[in-house]
Amino acid sequence: MMKKTIHYILLLLVSLAGPGCKKFLDIQPIDKLSGNNFYQSKEDVVANIYDLSRKLFNKVNETHFIGATGEYRSGEVLSESQSDNGPARAYVEVLGRNDLLTLLSGNQPWSFYNFWRITEWGEYYQVIQGANILLSKLEKGIPGVSETEKKQFEGEAAFARSMAYFFMVRLYGDVPYFTDAFHSTALPREKMVTVINNCITDLTQYKDNLPWSYSDPALKGVRASRGSIIALLMNMNMWNAGFDKGKAEHYYEETAALGNELIASGAYRLLPLSEWSTVIKGRSDESLFEFYRSVNYNDANSAVAPISDMFVHYPYKRPEYTHRVSFAYFRAEYMQKLYLGSADRRATVWFDENIYADNGKFMMLKFAQNSFITGEEDKNPDNTFMIFRYAGEILLCAEALAELGRDEEAIKLVNIVRDRAEAGHYAGGGGPDLKDFIFLERSRELMGEGHHYFDLVRTHRILSSTWSYNVLTLDKFNRGAWTWPVSRSALDNNPYMTLNDYWTNGGN
Amino acid sequence: MKLRLFFLLLLTGGLFPSWSLLAQAPSPTVTVRGTVMNKTSNAPLQSVTIANEKTGKGVGMTDAEGHFEIRVPANASLIFSSVGLATKKVKLEPGQTNIKVAMEANNRSMDDAIIVAYQRRTKETTTGAVNVVMGKEVQDVPVSNVEQLLQGKVPGLNIQNNTGAPGFRGSVQVRGLSNLSISGSGSESFLQPTSPLYIIDGVPIDADKASEYGFQTQGPGISPVSLIPPEDIESIQVLKDAQATSMYGSRGAYGVIIITTRRGNSKIPRVRYTSNYFMTTPPKLRETLGGNAERRLKIGQIISNARTYDDITRINRTAFLADSLNAYWNNSTNWQAVFYRTTYNQTHNLALDGGNAKFNYKTNLGYYTEKGVIKNTGFDRYNLNMNMEFKPNDKFRVFSSLFGSLGMQGKGNGLGILQQGVADNGTASTLYPPPSYYQSSGAVVSALKTKNDNNSRNLRANVDMRYEPFPGVAFSSSLSYDNTSETESTFTPAAANNQFARVYDFTGKNFTLYNRNNFTYFKTIAKAHTIFINAFNEIYKQGAQSRITRQEKTPNDQVQGPIGFDSYYSRGGGVLANFKNATIASFAGSISYDYQKRFVAEFSYRLDGTSSNGLENLYSRNPSIGLRWNISKEKWLKDLIWLSYGALRLTWGQNIVPTGNLQSIYGIYNLNGNFNNNPTIGINYDQIPNPFLKPTTTTQYNLGFETGLLNDKFVVNFDAYIKKVDNLLFDRNLATNTGFGKLASNDAGIANYGYELMVTARLIAKKGFTWTVSVNGAVNRDVLLRLPAENNGQYIRIDNSDYRQHTVFRVGRNTLSNYLIRNLGVYSTDNDVPVDPATGKRYQSNGIPFKAGDPIFKDVNGDYVLDGRDYEVGGNSQPLVTGGISTNVTYKNFGLNVYATFTAKRTILNNALSDRMSITRDPFDLRAVVPLSDLDIWRKPGDHARYPNPYDYGRYNQIQPLRPDQTLWAEDGSYLKINNVIVSYMFNKALVRKIGFNSARIYFSTENLITFSGYSGPNPENVTTLGRDVSSGYAVPRKYNLGINIELNTGN
Repeated sequence: MMKKTIHYILLLLVSLAGPGCKKFLDIQPIDKLSGNNFYQSKEDVVANIYDLSRKLFNKVNETHFIGATGEYRSGEVLSESQSDNGPARAYVEVLGRNDLLTLLSGNQPWSFYNFWRITEWGEYYQVIQGANILLSKLEKGIPGVSETEKKQFEGEAAFARSMAYFFMVRLYGDVPYFTDAFHSTALPREKMVTVINNCITDLTQYKDNLPWSYSDPALKGVRASRGSIIALLMNMNMWNAGFDKGKAEHYYEETAALGNELIASGAYRLLPLSEWSTVIKGRSDESLFEFYRSVNYNDANSAVAPISDMFVHYPYKRPEYTHRVSFAYFRAEYMQKLYLGSADRRATVWFDENIYADNGKFMMLKFAQNSFITGEEDKNPDNTFMIFRYAGEILLCAEALAELGRDEEAIKLVNIVRDRAEAGHYAGGGGPDLKDFIFLERSRELMGEGHHYFDLVRTHRILSSTWSYNVLTLDKFNRGAWTWPVSRSALDNNPYMTLNDYWTNGGN
Repeated sequence: MKLRLFFLLLLTGGLFPSWSLLAQAPSPTVTVRGTVMNKTSNAPLQSVTIANEKTGKGVGMTDAEGHFEIRVPANASLIFSSVGLATKKVKLEPGQTNIKVAMEANNRSMDDAIIVAYQRRTKETTTGAVNVVMGKEVQDVPVSNVEQLLQGKVPGLNIQNNTGAPGFRGSVQVRGLSNLSISGSGSESFLQPTSPLYIIDGVPIDADKASEYGFQTQGPGISPVSLIPPEDIESIQVLKDAQATSMYGSRGAYGVIIITTRRGNSKIPRVRYTSNYFMTTPPKLRETLGGNAERRLKIGQIISNARTYDDITRINRTAFLADSLNAYWNNSTNWQAVFYRTTYNQTHNLALDGGNAKFNYKTNLGYYTEKGVIKNTGFDRYNLNMNMEFKPNDKFRVFSSLFGSLGMQGKGNGLGILQQGVADNGTASTLYPPPSYYQSSGAVVSALKTKNDNNSRNLRANVDMRYEPFPGVAFSSSLSYDNTSETESTFTPAAANNQFARVYDFTGKNFTLYNRNNFTYFKTIAKAHTIFINAFNEIYKQGAQSRITRQEKTPNDQVQGPIGFDSYYSRGGGVLANFKNATIASFAGSISYDYQKRFVAEFSYRLDGTSSNGLENLYSRNPSIGLRWNISKEKWLKDLIWLSYGALRLTWGQNIVPTGNLQSIYGIYNLNGNFNNNPTIGINYDQIPNPFLKPTTTTQYNLGFETGLLNDKFVVNFDAYIKKVDNLLFDRNLATNTGFGKLASNDAGIANYGYELMVTARLIAKKGFTWTVSVNGAVNRDVLLRLPAENNGQYIRIDNSDYRQHTVFRVGRNTLSNYLIRNLGVYSTDNDVPVDPATGKRYQSNGIPFKAGDPIFKDVNGDYVLDGRDYEVGGNSQPLVTGGISTNVTYKNFGLNVYATFTAKRTILNNALSDRMSITRDPFDLRAVVPLSDLDIWRKPGDHARYPNPYDYGRYNQIQPLRPDQTLWAEDGSYLKINNVIVSYMFNKALVRKIGFNSARIYFSTENLITFSGYSGPNPENVTTLGRDVSSGYAVPRKYNLGINIELNTGN
């Protein structure tokens, strides 16, 4: 009797306590958002995707990234000593001599540019981890996310991580590669060509899951579309074509096919040059991928980040007494090489009469659009940070076609771009001339958008004084003179890690 | 030999009973009635077992009124026994049928009642390692925190009173190290505290709360333990092994301390008053050279060590050295005297109690005030505690208590534990004029005139009900609510803050709602088998929230509030990161079985679920097993008269503490601002989530032996234990290719093993003269067992402060070792400096070769250059041996109690000395100099000295002879401290009755009287948990106290 009673009481206690207890112990922390309460809706995923863009943009925004990595290292740009804080602007010439160790050494007048941050790759890996985590969560299923949305989000996450790898490869060469979520082990550096190939394989499987474009104009070019992925794939293929010579043909084929797919889609168009301000403001039909910024959203850009900071002066930048001249200018010789001798509207729309000034009077109006015309605020024009633009990818496709000997198709594509520029059609022959012309056309079209130096590197034109003011010898090139040094912090807690020899050995 | 002894024991055990049986003859039976009362309170005693001595069989039990009626042979001897009371033997006189028996509480340790898992049990049937300290042992000395007096009273409970700041806690550790987490840097590095769980009258209290932020305490930092008035304590019980603590679950992993407050226990109401008047004096402070002596030393140092002519002429350009006739520079100010003082304080405590077994009540009103020996610091405590017990019948009991306290603390301008400002000022040059009406430095004003007002208000209510439907079955339920509100306001006058007054305010609130429901079942079968089942569940609901606000600049010293808001000068504010909203639910059960009280087996199991743990791995499990063998109950030992009792205990248990929380398992996601006008949310990359985080598991084996000899004249308690802490949290720093900063892993493990011994001897126990001596000690060694694999068995925690006193974790040796440059003495002559045979250059540091008078730093890597690669592992910041000695003598009305504690084998880094000696690095600096004459320093070539030449200031920065990161400062911190000497006198009862008192007692006591140590600093105990003697530490004062106890005569 006694025992029975006890049993009943115990049973009652347990049965009462069981389910109620779980509820009692389930407290949603209101002061912190922990992982088990995130990824609960479509909105969470979108906020997370934007966070990946924000992180990647941070790398672009934390220093004068686009110019320093993609424009100045071949010496076309000189600094104007008469400009405001002139000594600090001399860094462009240090970059132009490929003297990165001086650039990065402490106590230089340009220290406030924080160029050392380019050597830190941690944030790229944060983007990669973020994307990997999002992909793993999407795979498990997130409430409120339909199958189509899931596929689209997966594509966007994959794009973000490949984008980070692509940025890193172009800066450091070989980098550690992983795609698993919550990766916590130290890894050695993976061969750059393999990293790119892995990214290509990875991205290709997601490519067709993305829409060509967004009906919401606010998302155009800002959120990754199929065009973004194709643009990235084309760039990756072309990069590998330059370094994986044995399989170059294959990479060109791939690029050409992707380029043709992009063009055939009709989802994107080149805007007339008169509407250039729309293009550079962002979210245009020409944009394939960009980091959209707007004063209307209170977006604060670092003062030194935009390319316009270097090449625009009063009245496009204010106040007048500190912006009488541009901080830097493209050599007249180089500008003449690009524009002299042929009609080209870009020479007048993107530049003023000082296009060949060879001093601080030079101005790149290409990025002077959307500037503040009243008030005395010392702000750069309110432009987007363009990463991939339709015109660039048309030319990349043309380059691949030219490499494959399909000159006619290539010329046709080049002329699309020249038509928009209201310039004469390409009249030369095929073969090397065409390839050189396409290279020059890319230099003209994409000037200031951070492609020029990487074009020089992947086409190995950096080895020739015809194309570069700062020629690298083949030996230097092979030892990685085109890379950036990797921060010593990469060695911390990673026994497998090595730094870039060229730079650890004194940079020559 | 052993075997023979065993046989002898067996023989004697076997023979005696048969002898006694033969001697007796049968006699007629009679009916005996009577009452059993408590001798002191006159309350009737129920459930007192009555046995016939001859047969050893029980013959009856008393009822609720203490009455009994039994049938026994005439002129039999009756044995009255009950838990917690001295067994009483009554021989029936011929024809006697009505007896009155008065029983009193016994001091036989075996029959002590102890509390295990909220149930009162006899020590005889429990298996865990438990020590009891009676309340009277922690009274008679006024202290702000009762823990101070527990020091040295329980073996294995290592208490270091390492701060003299009134109201603050020292460090408390049960059985060594349980944690590897070190925070802070330099001298302010501290070990994450692992204080035991406190249970006050059945209500669990978190003692570590106030030290959440280590030295960077925000808010008043008053520990709940500091709010307990020692006068109100009936007993303190320390649970050490896992069997005893496992029923308290995760929170009991670091030991459990159970405090029981006094209950009403007197038929006639009692009024007791205790008052203490005490003086605290600063200990011997560090010596400095004053006035002209300082000037001469500096000038002498410059002249004999100048490198350039300019240094000599610089003397003339330095006013305080050259212009000795200037009144401003012609002083000899004792700066330490500006800050230190002797204080006079008092405490008052009024206790009222009364009632009987049916209803009793108690009220305790307490006041304590102590001004700190550093001016502008102090602690005040006000208490009102009440409890009431109502027991209308055998079945029902209700107990309720109310505990209200207010603690007020003055921290000066420091953090309480550390007084950086005072330390810096204390080393100011004596040549400065003393602070006066016209002139005083900002720092002095800051230390003395900062108004700091800290309050901690605690209110705790508790209701405990118990219902016993049938004998042996009981249900009980306890509900308590504990609410603390804390405020801190600091006003810094303009003179102390660059001519702008500053205001800082903190308010915090935290609460715990606690409920426990208990079921117990007790059954004895066939008088031999006893089963005891105890099952309960516990739930907690806890919350905390605090805010600060700071106004950098206010209009003037007169405007101290309300301050409003100034967009430019308002700082801080909002809710602090210690916001808490948590729930805990636990289920626990234990089964205890004993056979004739000879063999005891106990098994317990507890499930703990916490809301911070995540639902996927909700419960942590705490099992334990305990066995006890009361050897003395064995037949073959039963009649050894010299053996009062003897028992062997063996226990095993685990305490499992969830280390993860939702954030560490799943990661934190942050709102990071907008992108494309959309909110962005991404993971926080500081720490990578680790879903595989295992709970920290403390596994403990304990083998105990306890015995009482010669009617408890000698009591010996011995325990040996192994405590293994696995899956300790250890942050792994990650490679940059992971994007994350660190991984909370739990791949670290430590083990503690040791012995604890306590011997109490009642050497003399005559009427009017007693003498008891008690010695206890514990040896505890800790070993680091495991580190994350990639550390390859060693991790160096680099100290990035100027001290560079690194800590090294190396598997296989003691856990917390120092990583320092080894000092091998002082170069006597230049020729003693080794020369690199390859280059011909002398051993050097920073490009400067060593010479005579420089310290010999061991060149570990043999490259003839001293640099960061020449550090070595050594020392142990944790003490190896701790313990205490006490002796109590009573002679007639006089009493003398002496309590001493000792700590041995511990490495201390004398940072205070290194700080002070290295003032000589710059004789042009306005700092006080220490007399070095009594130190063994190198003075001339040929000297074999301990300390290097401190005066060669020209090479100081290169050679750094007095650098803190060398073993020169590592000293042995062993000490023997006489804490308390208490002399008391009890006035003659007859005498005091005439003036209306029941009793009156007067006593004189001391605290921290004298410390014997070979340590060169002032106090080897006044160091941080990592063994650093911080120059900004709060000196532990000496106390002299005069106190009285009075009991009013309320009877008629």
